[in-house]
Formats: sequence, C-alpha cells, structure tokens
Amino acid sequence: MIRKTRIKRTWLAAAVIASGSLLATALPANAETGVSAREIKLGITLPLTGAASPGYNKIGNAMNAYFKYVNDNGGVYGRKVTLIQKNDEFSPQLAIAKTNELILRDKVFALVGPLGTANFTAVHKSVGLAKRRVPSLFLNTGFSGFSNKKSYPTSFMVLPSYAMEAKIIAQFLKENHAGKKLGIVYQNDEFGIDGLGAFKAAGTKFDVTIPYTSGTQSAATAQTWVSQLAAGGAEVVVMFGVTSATGALLGVSAAAKYAPQWILGSVGSDPVTLRALGVPVAVLNGAQTPAGNPSPNDTSDEYVKQFQEINTEYNPGVAFDDYVLQGMNIGLLTVQALRAAGKNLTRKRLIRAIETKGSKFASVAYSPLGFSRTSNVGHTGYYMAVMDANGDRKPFGGKVTLYTTDSGSGPVVVSTFKRPAMPAKGLPSNS
Amino acid sequence: MRKKIAIFILIGWVLLIIGDRVDELRVYQGAQMAMYTIALASIVLLTGYSGQVSLGNGAMMAVGGYGAALTLNNLGTPIWFAFLMAIVTASLFGALLGAAAARVSGPYLAGTTLALAVGLPAIANQFAFLGGEPGLFFDVGFPPERFGDEFTQYKWFFWIASFIALIALFITSNILSSRFGRTWRAIRGNSLAAELCGVHSSRMKVLAFTVSSGLAGLAGAVLAMTISLVAPGAYGLALSFALVTGAVLAGISSLPGVVLGAIILVFIPEISVALADRLGDADKLNNYLPGLIVSVLLILSVIFTPNGPGENLRKHLHKKPAH
Repeated sequence: MIRKTRIKRTWLAAAVIASGSLLATALPANAETGVSAREIKLGITLPLTGAASPGYNKIGNAMNAYFKYVNDNGGVYGRKVTLIQKNDEFSPQLAIAKTNELILRDKVFALVGPLGTANFTAVHKSVGLAKRRVPSLFLNTGFSGFSNKKSYPTSFMVLPSYAMEAKIIAQFLKENHAGKKLGIVYQNDEFGIDGLGAFKAAGTKFDVTIPYTSGTQSAATAQTWVSQLAAGGAEVVVMFGVTSATGALLGVSAAAKYAPQWILGSVGSDPVTLRALGVPVAVLNGAQTPAGNPSPNDTSDEYVKQFQEINTEYNPGVAFDDYVLQGMNIGLLTVQALRAAGKNLTRKRLIRAIETKGSKFASVAYSPLGFSRTSNVGHTGYYMAVMDANGDRKPFGGKVTLYTTDSGSGPVVVSTFKRPAMPAKGLPSNS
Repeated sequence: MRKKIAIFILIGWVLLIIGDRVDELRVYQGAQMAMYTIALASIVLLTGYSGQVSLGNGAMMAVGGYGAALTLNNLGTPIWFAFLMAIVTASLFGALLGAAAARVSGPYLAGTTLALAVGLPAIANQFAFLGGEPGLFFDVGFPPERFGDEFTQYKWFFWIASFIALIALFITSNILSSRFGRTWRAIRGNSLAAELCGVHSSRMKVLAFTVSSGLAGLAGAVLAMTISLVAPGAYGLALSFALVTGAVLAGISSLPGVVLGAIILVFIPEISVALADRLGDADKLNNYLPGLIVSVLLILSVIFTPNGPGENLRKHLHKKPAH
C-alpha cells in the first residue's frame, strides 16, 4: 500500500514538474511579429562552423555590417535592422532546429539569406514557412525548385538557378570546348542534380561523371575523384559543388599534377576562399567560371567600391571577397524591400512590395531580377569569366557578355540589360 | 492498476490543457520533452534495471526513425503503423545487438554500443535509399481540419508525442513492476545469484536490450516527427551522450525521474542562450555551450550525486510517508 502511494506521489511530482516547466511565459502578441517602433528583427541560419563553412561563414557578418551602416544612417524609416545569426553547420536538422528558434523564440520578422538547398527544403517543409506566412528573402541557393511560387509563396530567390547556370555553361562548352573529353564532379542532391538535369537537357554529354554526397568532401575523397577523372582522360572538368569540395579537388589535382581546363560552378569558385583552403594560385590561373557579380577587386564598380568602404569600417579585418559582396548585396536588397513595404511594416506588405517593385531593386549583379506577382525568381543570368595569375576574375574575352535564360527549356540569349545604379552612398531611398 | 490508469489519464488531461495555454515555442518544447521522456525510459530500463550500459541509444533511435520514415514514405501507411514499425525495426535490431552484447559487460559493452553510436549514422549516410546526409522526409501531415485554423502543426506534434509518451511510460512502468522487471533487477544486483535462482540471465539481458531498443526506436520516430525529417546528423553522438546525461541526472533507476531528465535536456539550449547573451559574443558561444553544459552536469552529477539528483529527489519524496 505504502509502495503504491509512493509510486503515485512520484508520478504526480513528475507531472507537476512537467506542467510547471511548460507553463512558462507566453509573450503577448505584437501588431506584427519581429517589428517594433524601433527595431526590425531578421534571422539567418548558415554554417558558421563545419566542413562547408569556409566562405559561407562570412555572409552573415557581411549582411550585419551593411545593416549597421544603414542603422547609423537613420535605419529603415527610423527602425534599426537587427540580424540574428544561427549556426546550422550545413545540416538540415540543425537548420530546422535553429530556424524554429529564430521564429518561435527570437520571433524574427523574416528570414534573410538562408543558405543551402537541402537545408531550406527541409526548413520550409518542417517549420511550415508558407503556412506561417514567414517571408524568406533572397535565398542563398539556386535550386530551381524554389521558383515554384505555389509551393514557396513567401520565399524569394536571389541567385540565378543552378539550371540556368548549367545551361549557360553548356552553351559555353559547345562554343569553346567542342570535341574535348568532358568530366563533371557534382553534389549529389537537389543542388547538383538540378544542374546535371539542365546539362542533359542542353545535350552536354560527360565522359566522366562523379557524384559526391554533401558532407563527405575531403582530401581523401578528392583523391578518388582525381583518379577517376585522370583515368577517364577528362580534358575539361566542370566542378559543380560547394567551395570546400572545389578546394579539395583543386588541391589534390595540383599535388597530383593533373591539370585539365577547370570550369568552376559559381557556388564554389571564390578565389579568396579557395586560396585560404590551400589551393595554389597557379591552379586557379586560367580556370573558367560563370559569374553574376563583378569581381570583388574591381574598384571601378560603384557597388564594389561602396561595399568595400562599408566592409573596412563595419567588418574590420575581414577580406573582401565574393561572399562578403554577396552578403552586403543581400543586405542592400533587404533594405530596399523593407522600405518598399512602407512605414506600416507587415509580412504581407513586404511580400507584396517585392512582388510589385522587386524587379527594379538596385543589385550588384549584372542580370535582371525576375520578381513579379507570379515569379519569385531572382537574378536570371551570368557572364563567363576567367581567373588570372593573381586569382582575380576577369570577363572571358575581355568584356562582360551577359547571358540570360530561364530554368526551363527557354534559350540562352545575350542580354543588353543595364543594371540600376547604386543608391547614393549605398543608402536606398526608394519607397 | 486502476489508480495508475487514472493518474495517467489525469496527466494527459493536464497536458492537453497546458498545450492550449502556452505559446508555440513551449508546445514545441513539450513535444521534444515527450520524445526525450521515451528515450530516457529506454535507458532506465536497460541500464537502471538490467544493469547493461549503453552509449548507443541514439543509434537505436536512428533505426526507429528510418524504419518509420521508410514505412510511411514507401507504403503510405497510417501514422500509427509507422510508429509501430519504428518499434518493430528497432526491437529486431536491438535483439541482434543484444545477442552480441550479452557476451560482454561493463566497459566492453559501453565500447561496443559507443562504436554503434559513432558508426551507424555514418553508414546511413552511404545509402541512397536512406537519403544520404539530407535524409528522408517524415511528414505525419497537418492536424485534422476540425480542430480549426488556430490548431498549429506543433500543437499537433505535441498531442501525438504526449499521447505516445504516456502510453510508452504506462507500459514500461507495468513491465518494470512485473516479473521481468524484478528479474532484471536481480540480474543487475548479482547475475550469478540470479542464475542460481533459475533465471536465464543471458536471455533476459537480450530481452532487456530488445525492449529498450523498441522504446528508443519509438523515441527516434517521435524525434523524426518533430523535425519532419530523418537524417544521420539528427542521431549523432551528441544525442547519445545527452541521453546518458539526462538518464544520470534523472536517476538511472527511476522511471518517473525521466520526466526531470527530459526537462533538463530540453532547457539546456535555453540556459545556453541566456548565458551566451550575458557573456557576449552569443553567436560563437551558442555553438559550444550546450555541449559544455551537458558535460559539466554529467561530471558534477557523478561526483556529488552518483545515482543522480532525480534519485535523491525520489528518495526524499519516499521518506516523507514514513515520518
């Protein structure tokens, strides 16, 4: 009898503890989540540590630097923009957990620049971003599946899709490397498969095809890639992977004295990060790559010049590279979107503002933005570039020839689009 | 038995009310708490009762999670069947492992299960049908429309997870009070003496491994539900270590104590965020603080309360009626 009473008492104690801990504070509802009279709270998950972190770990701080610059110059209609960064180590389950923290605990107004195809796919589904109507602005992924506006009504891309990139590379291969033996190393998930599908649709036939699983990239894995590529006699190799995988491939190739013509996908071609990963600059010399933005060293470009100044002051000690440029540009796009949504900021107004005014936003990339009521596609094209002996990127053929296309069966065409000018002092004044 | 049923129904009713009163973050944490409760119960059964140390419960959770996801995605079965298959898959796997584990004990058993915790997620990474590193989706669907628009996805997860946890705890509590529980305790106390009393100790150890793995598999499926995903990274070594810490803090042989252990595990990230905010440089600190807190708690618990603070609390509660 005493034992039963004890059991009952213990279980009840456990229940009371559980109830008490769950009955913690419930915050009162605001007019709009993450927006107050003085602040707009934004969030991002990205790999700050782990195998995929080199390069990507700079994007959040670069965005933050730009927001601090804007805040010091009056903010967005007097509101300070705050960015909360969470480390997802490039793993989908951590991205889900951290996005939950951002939305449920930190109560951010919107996600900005979330990174990684597999991560965002998992986050969107698991957290239910569309159902919650949480805006997800300017995704740092080019998976063409995200351009499905019905499935992703609150998400907006910024990068040209991987399918667009593959179509443009395919055309470049046809025009410049016809008759050569081709090889490709690609990430075996939506990212790489998106590109591979577009290569196939464009009629590109690879003699050596090497998939790799995200997270398995290392010098040891790259040894097997190089062996296969060399054994297959690949003269031109397309690397369609993240920077850490590209770095491993180029580093091992240099050691093995295997030197095909490299064509590096835009995702993994940042020379500063590749050199930081130990890739000799001589290997980068002559590597060809599709590029959307000007070189981060091109100080004649008004965007690059302004962003470099902001980086020096607000992100001191950080080398200005493609990732910093991309992070600051997403910051610039975000501030324009927030301004376009008006003083009475709501999630609904923000989404509508990008749909109706987003295609006119100023952005560092050369190609047009595809935002409209029916499209959440960001930039729509690339130019081909070649790296020089300093690892700097120059337009292939001496001048920027911009190619635009879509993610479907549309043709690759040369575009005469002229991007909007950088707002004065890098501070948008749009409405 | 009736009183126990009444208590469990009462707890379920209280949880339902709480689920309606708290914000979504707490509801989500409630679902996580239910998941940890089941996972810790599996450790209490295995280690606290049958005396076998396992550091690989995270791997068993992975087996259950993948079992449930493959069932749901490939056969299109109802959710309850997917959860059932999580138990069946993990139990079968546990029976196989138990047969091997019955031959070793102490640090050797801990080493064997640790190898499993390290190796299994990495192995899962290599098979395309298991989805590689991105894993497989595990979508239990939206809550029924009759609950209304205000009924969120996470509240739905909380309901399902709490219901499963209550049933799992009720059944486990009954198993532990049955002759099986007594036999396991006898083996833990003195294996030789138990055998002299006619207990087939190896067989009973395998049985404990099987039942414990089934529970861990169920917890794995609940975890998969809360993140809508089964991926190797979700069941890594950190999870196995966190579970061991939770079990020690709860009191390794106290089934009701698992609730306390689950609460601690769920709130460690909260404590970490609060600490990181106070110490500054929150982004960097938050990466390492949860692991540090788990390790410090485990060390402190082993030094000051070897049976766990939960066990001390239980003893304190039990003393009162005697006065």
